[in-house]
Amino acid sequence: MNQFYLQQNAARELQPFPHIVELALKKNNAIRLDSLNTTAINSLRIYYVIDGKFEWLIHERQHILYPGDVAMILPGQKFGGGKGFLDIGTLCWINIKIERIDPAGKLVPGKWSSLSENERSTIGKILMMNNRPLHLQLKEAGLILEKIKAELCCQEIGFNTRVNHLIDELFIIITRGLTRQNNTLRNFPQTFLRLEQQLRQRLDYQWTVDEMAALVGLGTTAFNEKVKNYTGFSPLNYLINIRISEAIKLLKRGEASVTAIALDTGFYSSQHFSTTFKKLTGFTPSEFRKNNLLQK
Amino acid sequence: MECVITIELGTNAVRVFAFSLSGELLASMKGSYPTFHIQPDYSEQDPEQIFITMLYVLKNLLNEKIHPQKIKVRCICFSASMHSVLAIDENGVPLGNAITWSDNRGKKVAAALNALPACKKIYTATGTPIHPMSPLIKIAWMNENDKERFKRSSKFLSIKSYIVQQLTGKYCIDYSLASATGLLNIHTLNWEPDALAFAGIKADKLPELVPVFHSPGRLLKAYQTSLGLPAGVKILIGSSDGCLATLGAGVWGEGKATITIEDSGAVRIVGKKVLQDEKQRFFNYLLTKSYYVSGGPTNNGGVIFDWFTRQFGEFKNPFDIEYSMDTLMSEAAKVDAGSEGLLFLPYLLAERAPIWNPNARGCYFGLNINHGRQHFIRATIEGILYEIYSIGKTLQEHRSIKSLSINGSFASIPFCAQIIADMFNKPLYASKQSNNSIGLGAFLLSAVEMGIYKTIDEAAQTVVVPDRYKPNKQNHKIYNSYFRIFESLSVKLFDEFESISNLQQQPC
Repeated sequence: MNQFYLQQNAARELQPFPHIVELALKKNNAIRLDSLNTTAINSLRIYYVIDGKFEWLIHERQHILYPGDVAMILPGQKFGGGKGFLDIGTLCWINIKIERIDPAGKLVPGKWSSLSENERSTIGKILMMNNRPLHLQLKEAGLILEKIKAELCCQEIGFNTRVNHLIDELFIIITRGLTRQNNTLRNFPQTFLRLEQQLRQRLDYQWTVDEMAALVGLGTTAFNEKVKNYTGFSPLNYLINIRISEAIKLLKRGEASVTAIALDTGFYSSQHFSTTFKKLTGFTPSEFRKNNLLQK
Repeated sequence: MECVITIELGTNAVRVFAFSLSGELLASMKGSYPTFHIQPDYSEQDPEQIFITMLYVLKNLLNEKIHPQKIKVRCICFSASMHSVLAIDENGVPLGNAITWSDNRGKKVAAALNALPACKKIYTATGTPIHPMSPLIKIAWMNENDKERFKRSSKFLSIKSYIVQQLTGKYCIDYSLASATGLLNIHTLNWEPDALAFAGIKADKLPELVPVFHSPGRLLKAYQTSLGLPAGVKILIGSSDGCLATLGAGVWGEGKATITIEDSGAVRIVGKKVLQDEKQRFFNYLLTKSYYVSGGPTNNGGVIFDWFTRQFGEFKNPFDIEYSMDTLMSEAAKVDAGSEGLLFLPYLLAERAPIWNPNARGCYFGLNINHGRQHFIRATIEGILYEIYSIGKTLQEHRSIKSLSINGSFASIPFCAQIIADMFNKPLYASKQSNNSIGLGAFLLSAVEMGIYKTIDEAAQTVVVPDRYKPNKQNHKIYNSYFRIFESLSVKLFDEFESISNLQQQPC
């Protein structure tokens, strides 16, 4: 493909797509100092390397990208060349203005996207997972960027819908790629332990089965079956196990209030906590605490 | 109808079984809990999560399978993995997680004790090999390296003691589980003063010693209510997984040995006398005052074949390891016994019995240009089983073994069972319940306590052992000649194991 550079407000092709800030393909033949200093990004960028080797700093981590690699930079993250300049090579990128990624980790792209509520939340969460660099080998992404370019230039019937669908697809394949990256789908005990760590890190969050399944890289049905088989519990019941176990520790420590413990461990309310706790242990949380304090 | 419930607090999961009074399995359920490895040698579990998981599984089993059928629960009997340590404060609140059997943080402490003259005396008195698995070493480690926790500890419990205390309010430990702590004198049945001194504690820091038939008391009222059980249900402290797996396999008498292979494995024999080994290679655990279960444990059982399958097996569906294993097994069967001279030392997780070498590592040996993928598969399986044979062979220096009984998920695979029979050149039996021998053992123990059987011997005889594998003499010959090389390599590589293990432990 030849070089091109489409920019919002300048390129006529982008007029129907106010959310696309830039779409470009660049062959960089010479190094220019300070051509890529590290700055915080305010939109969402997806880079695809066609040729060459790029050394970048993304979110304060060093990444080396080779042909076929994709990097996604989220709004607010810092991005720049490892040495302050753009390396020699060919790369393609799209720069998208998204409405926001909300504090719970939900991706809100904008009205143009046809991702469902659930998918937005799952995709957002996986993209935000801080221990995973958003950098992966994904040749498909290059093809999609090419298709977006073609649709924009040809403007055939339905291109409006097609372009937006292709951007959604880009989000989907990158997310899928990320869940597979650290997961060969061979070692369930290890994968499950990793999921459990993620659940524990955010126990107060209202996890859905869809989200948990996506983190593991499985469909919901297969995930349910695997978890049941391995742990003896459904995913949500397993989560209750962890919640109650953590709550017991906090109750025995005797500092926080029952309500605070309930919310910290992911129950909707102290009422919900009490009912679940009593059903399992026969004690209300306050009785349980009193019993353990009585011994003191 | 009436039933006995057995609760097995295992390495990765709690398993709850319900047996009719005639020993028929009525229902079973499991619930798993995680093991945390916060540092390379650490293995810990959350006692509260184990408790909650146990309660949840028990409740589900009662509500779904027992109460609707109007089955009356007579007795609940416990079994547990050996060697765990949980420190609690003066209010009974756990000080951090429980340290499990596979935790190796006490390596240096164990090595230090091994170098002392007291070592032999302690081993002879306690019957537990000096190894980081043993609570003796774990407590001594805490004394040296985690002083704050050590000082705040009012007691050092096993996981089972904690769980039973949560349910009944009483702290106790059965002689059986206590005999695996490295702290109990298995001859006098008192805590061993030399061992206590090495650990840096007094006997009052340990739970009360009780027989396996002891009932610590009634379920607390709240649990009676939440579980829907009457006050009269008898709680039995029970024994350890190792002793009960042996009882549940029906091996109770001269000339018999049990081979258990799950993730890890063990070869065990039962006798009325302690097995005294000069080289301190075997454990001697008590079931009751008159029975010792002696034998040797291996780290490298089915877990090694799991590893192999994950690396080299074909996966048709995500995480479908069973399919992948079956395929590998049938490929292995296409190669003759002995894998045409490809040998495998399975020490990926270092090794306990019989070489007791924390530096041992895995190795394929004898590879030539004609070996292919199938040879590797078969050699891997054979290597795991040679290791089992090597424990059995060492045991035979002390006792004669006439027949074998197997249990555990890996040993029960017919392909493996046949190889074991061939290697040992002995007839081999697999009980119908070879996947839940521990539960069955706990049932038999309860049944003796309830007077259903007069003695443990009588109870053990009721275990049906229908499947019989006859050894193939030809294969035995082949295995035997390769085993000699296996055995000598395991010892000969001592220095190289140490060097490679040192290099592996260096940060890159």
